[in-house]
Amino acid sequence: MRARWRAAGLAVSTVALLPAAWSVIVAMPSFGEHVSPYGAAVNAVVPAARHVSNMVAAVNFDLRGLDTLGEESMLLCAVTGTVVLLRGARGEETSGSAIRLPGRAIAQRSDATILICRFAATLLFFFGVYVALHGLVTPGGGFQGGVVIASALLLLYLGEGYAHWRSIVRGRVLSVLEGAGALLFVLVGLIPLAFGKAAFQNILPLGTFRDLYAGGTMVVVNAAVACAVAGGFTLILLEFMEETRAPETETEPGEGG
Amino acid sequence: MSWLTGIMLVVAAGAGVLVVLSRDPKRQLFALFANGLVLSLLFFVLQAPDVALSEIVVGAVVVPLLFLVALAAIAVAKVRE
Repeated sequence: MRARWRAAGLAVSTVALLPAAWSVIVAMPSFGEHVSPYGAAVNAVVPAARHVSNMVAAVNFDLRGLDTLGEESMLLCAVTGTVVLLRGARGEETSGSAIRLPGRAIAQRSDATILICRFAATLLFFFGVYVALHGLVTPGGGFQGGVVIASALLLLYLGEGYAHWRSIVRGRVLSVLEGAGALLFVLVGLIPLAFGKAAFQNILPLGTFRDLYAGGTMVVVNAAVACAVAGGFTLILLEFMEETRAPETETEPGEGG
Repeated sequence: MSWLTGIMLVVAAGAGVLVVLSRDPKRQLFALFANGLVLSLLFFVLQAPDVALSEIVVGAVVVPLLFLVALAAIAVAKVRE
């Protein structure tokens, strides 16, 4: 389609849809106005009922735990699919170095870069653990802590380089983390059934309000999500970084790769 | 709406436009990274620090990195051919 026709189509659809869009825009609640009765109800009930102060985590891990299990399975499926797709085309072996554009010089990393990356990655890793641990008390939680941990492990690549990074970050450990996290989540949902309770019912002692370990099963689910997300995201990053590794046996020039 | 929210909304719109307008994939990547950073700041200003934490990692680190890896693989494959 030519550009002129596309522009005409855009103009026609804009004019046609403008009344509908305008009626939605004027009917919207004003900026910053709270209109959610569910949110108000959660704020009123949950602190006394579940002894946690982060309502988002309470909704995710307890009140709507089943929905989060669905998201968790989606993450597991996405990671599995990515790994199967990439490894299937490439094989599982590792090699000593990353690819480089032929003819481009590689600057050596300075000691300062390595040192700063090691410090920053360690700090970031423990910040991720902190965010995950305090998920039920302050904003954050398993998912946020997990992705911060994954980014800390990625930061190591910058300082250590491909080969060393590959020897630190093990794919097998990551897949065990991901699988164990998802399994733990499912178990937390199923075990109440064995005691004649409803699935995902909070059967553990709730603890004292705002304590780090208050919230009963939410503590376990939070830890499970943190493990699964940290493992899953790092595994995706690892598999994509593997796309940039040099082939084990360099093909002769002209032979093709 | 405070002035800080207003500024962040304008910057977020600007960063989004930058992503669309940059045609070179490498530059677009950095625009995408900037967009993720700005969006996470916007979430922070709107008092959603948990969403900001996810956005800063996913939007500003993971997604640009995946594109960066893809671009690197394409560049090397082109030279090898």
